[in-house]
Amino acid sequence: MSARRGRRLLVRPQWAVSIAGALAVIGFVGYAQWNGSPGRVQFATSVQQVLAAQVGQLEQEQKDLRAQIAVADAQVLAFQTASTSSSSALADVNRRLAQARLAVGLTRLRGPGVVIEIADSKRVVPVGENPANYIVLVDDLRDIVVALWATGAEAISINGERLVATSSIYGVGAAVLVNTAFLSPPFRIEAIGSEGLLDRFQANPAFRGRAAQRISAFGLEFASQPAASLDLAAFVGNTRFRWAVPTAAAP
Amino acid sequence: MNGRLARLSVFVVAVLIGALAVGQLRSQARLTEVSSLSAQELSTLIETLTARNRELRTGLADIQAQLRQYQVSGPQSQSALQVSREDLRRITAFGGLAAVNGQGIQMDVTGDLDAIALNDLVNELRNAGAEAIAVDGVRINARSVAIQGPRALKVDGVDVGRSFRLSAIGSPDGLLSAMQRPGGIISQLKLFISATIEIRQVQSVGLPASAVSLLPVVGKPVE
Repeated sequence: MSARRGRRLLVRPQWAVSIAGALAVIGFVGYAQWNGSPGRVQFATSVQQVLAAQVGQLEQEQKDLRAQIAVADAQVLAFQTASTSSSSALADVNRRLAQARLAVGLTRLRGPGVVIEIADSKRVVPVGENPANYIVLVDDLRDIVVALWATGAEAISINGERLVATSSIYGVGAAVLVNTAFLSPPFRIEAIGSEGLLDRFQANPAFRGRAAQRISAFGLEFASQPAASLDLAAFVGNTRFRWAVPTAAAP
Repeated sequence: MNGRLARLSVFVVAVLIGALAVGQLRSQARLTEVSSLSAQELSTLIETLTARNRELRTGLADIQAQLRQYQVSGPQSQSALQVSREDLRRITAFGGLAAVNGQGIQMDVTGDLDAIALNDLVNELRNAGAEAIAVDGVRINARSVAIQGPRALKVDGVDVGRSFRLSAIGSPDGLLSAMQRPGGIISQLKLFISATIEIRQVQSVGLPASAVSLLPVVGKPVE
């Protein structure tokens, strides 16, 4: 009996240190986990649940509407394309129409460019710091888009949403709306542009001034690379104006 | 026996640490799920999505009407020509390639706005439903951004002075209330920038076509 006890005593100090260390790690991580748990700090009230369900319905309705618009647009385009083989005035107008659609973002576009991805930081938010610093804000996306346009991008899309003359990048709380769509990170920004676009973008003050500093300071996940060929989908949405009336014949 | 027990213990501890660490990392992630937004944010989101879906429904009805016109007239007829001309006018206006006229608002700005502030104003107008925007005489298109030039701000290569006029066509009430709402863009700008911004509704404002070519050079259409 005393011999067995003696053997245990010989082993115990080594394991005691290891187990104590492991338990300390578990304790620390467990505390941090419990302390930062969304369930602890955030209670979804029944009102929120009802409103969230309504948002879900509106998003679904929007998907359906956009799908119908895409189908109807394709049918209109088919009519217009059918007439371009003749030499009539109609063919001429429809050729100009195809050019206009290309210029304003209503045509799928392929070309070289850059791909940029940005996502929320994976760092643990230090106590007392604003958690909003560690997530991608609409300002970051706007800065990136401004820098891309300023350095010669010909077309840009964010998570597949093609940017056109009426596009806005808008934030509601942590939610980001581009065009009519509600987007979540990671945000993938694709831009078609001439060779050297990535270098010009990275040196542009619109990117370096704020977004690049936030990426560095708060560890926002960021990656960028040139791409030999990108496919940017056409804008799908309302292109009909209610208030603005063209004042001259089409160019 | 002791060795197996020790290995098992180490394995269990490692699994526990791993699970907790992953849980901690995930809890740091953004709560972008809709259910994580506050009731007020959700209300704003519902308002925005409802307005945008209304626009989409109107747009869909218009495209379907256009399609019916093509179907009735046939692809080669005179009325098809008329429908295509109308479509060309509409699309060039949409992209800023044609001059437009309509109701809206005008903002006279005097002060030290930087490029970020001007870009934010344009973004806010777009979000409020502006259909066409111009800074002084420069029509805003998809690619138009304000940048800091050597002497002044520039939009599409044109200098913008310390005083400028921002014009937008859209619902005058909608645009005005979006600009003036408490905590909105103008309230925010006034906190950081020394500038005066006067806004008024206008019954009719004319905006020119964009002077820049928007046809892609390296990008090619996908058939």
